[in-house]
Amino acid sequence: MTATDTRAASAPAPARGATPIARILNVVRLHVANPVPTLVLPWAITFAIFALNLAIWLMVARAAGGVENLEEDAFQYNGGISWIVVFMMVVAIQAMSLTFRFALGFSVTRRDYYLGSALFFVLLSLLYSTGLTVIGGIERATDGWGLGAAFFAPFGLYEEPMLTVWFVYLAAMLLFFFLGAAVATVWMRWRAYGLYVFFLGLAVVVVASGWIITATDSWPAVGEFFVSTSPVAIAAWTLPVTLVCAAVGFALLRRATSRS
Amino acid sequence: MTTVVEAEGLTKRFGKVTALDNVSFSLEEGAIHGLLGRNGAGKTTLMNLLTAQDFASDGAVRIFGASPVENATALRRVCFIKESQVYPDDFKGKHVLRSAPWFFDNWDAEFAQRLVAAFDVPLDRKMKKLSRGQRSAIGVIVGLASRAELTFLDEPYAGLDAVARRRFYDLLLEDYAAHPRTIVLSTHLIDEAADLLQRVVVIDQGRVVIDADADELRGSATTLVGRASDVDAFAAGRDVIDRTTMGGIASVTMTGLSDEDRRAASAAGLEAASVSLQELIVNRTGGRAGLDPSAQEDAA
Repeated sequence: MTATDTRAASAPAPARGATPIARILNVVRLHVANPVPTLVLPWAITFAIFALNLAIWLMVARAAGGVENLEEDAFQYNGGISWIVVFMMVVAIQAMSLTFRFALGFSVTRRDYYLGSALFFVLLSLLYSTGLTVIGGIERATDGWGLGAAFFAPFGLYEEPMLTVWFVYLAAMLLFFFLGAAVATVWMRWRAYGLYVFFLGLAVVVVASGWIITATDSWPAVGEFFVSTSPVAIAAWTLPVTLVCAAVGFALLRRATSRS
Repeated sequence: MTTVVEAEGLTKRFGKVTALDNVSFSLEEGAIHGLLGRNGAGKTTLMNLLTAQDFASDGAVRIFGASPVENATALRRVCFIKESQVYPDDFKGKHVLRSAPWFFDNWDAEFAQRLVAAFDVPLDRKMKKLSRGQRSAIGVIVGLASRAELTFLDEPYAGLDAVARRRFYDLLLEDYAAHPRTIVLSTHLIDEAADLLQRVVVIDQGRVVIDADADELRGSATTLVGRASDVDAFAAGRDVIDRTTMGGIASVTMTGLSDEDRRAASAAGLEAASVSLQELIVNRTGGRAGLDPSAQEDAA
């Protein structure tokens, strides 16, 4: 062992990336090496959905003979932006399935790879939630793009302060990124059969929950919870779920291989 | 001499298939080792286990004295180039070369550029669109320019033409001389690579069948050709690993001949020729003492 150590010391300066932090940051760099799927596509989709909505609003306003002829909140019940939040799951699945085997082939440990990917997802969540909140701020400042519309902070968030909008976005993005990470690791470990079992299990859980709520006559209580609980509190409730997803992803990836 | 790679009772099962069966060997630091064997013998599986890309069913692996599994310190000293390497979609050659220094501390960008010119690979084309040979060339470039203390090259030149392969051997030797390190080369083009190899580990059906110094191995077998009756008389009671007869002429390959034996053979009118590494390995893995000639052809 001693001889190996001296040899390592005399080898040409192994300076770069030796620390754990640097190793993890290098995984982040690997994810950004091709920025299209993670940094370009989600924005493109967001703006495409927004542009389509804008076109529809203008069409409706024109048909009504002006915005003033419409109800004040006509353009505020809009779920378009939730697509982009859900799309983050796809982004996470893609990012991991694209780079994992390459990283493994380049002598990256699974631990470093997962931590680097997790850091990347947190950074993306911050970027997107901040970006959407800023655009939401512009939306409010321009009186809903001059149409009284609410796309980036629609019903539920319309009356909330910008900080709340930001936090809800952040929590939702984190949830879907790590849900995606968990799904991606299921795919890496067991491929298609893993996903069948995973989604079948998920469906069972959802239906079973419905049964339990129905059997105990709890639907009013559930409705009451969502009405009486603030968006911030609901968003905060997703954080433990996000953490569980993150832990599941880590546990599954630790035994994933480069095969198949 | 320091041991950099150790396998102890290494076993890998995929369902009912045993890909590696109780494999034990060790490799010394600072040499070019050959890991040889037929397709499906377990070479890639073995290297996957040695680099922690896959997990052993049983037994132990140590590189630089420690288990490679999730061992960042050990793995950073390792580069494993394999034909089946998956690259991210849309990755071009330039992306591969740009990201390599993030993971290999000894990366030599200048040398990489030289290799790009030597192999004439297009860096601005997607990896998926490259030919097999071009993809192999990128792998070879990463494998050499990473200058990892322990480099595994698994069939590094699949799809490369003879000229490019020649270039690879020359560059490998040249760079190895300037920057000695441990290189494990897996190939079935044994004759081509034979001169490079200092130690040879041959696996067959998941077992190590030869683990020897290349020079020793080359001298270990001799082919004698002569009249069938003379050959048979001489071969009686000796360790014959291959025998063919054509007309009245027989040729036997045998191991364990001393210089004295060779003189005796020559006196008996037999012509002696040393056996190439490739023939020897073919005999030991597929040939099974010539009982199954078709298997022998496959192996070659």
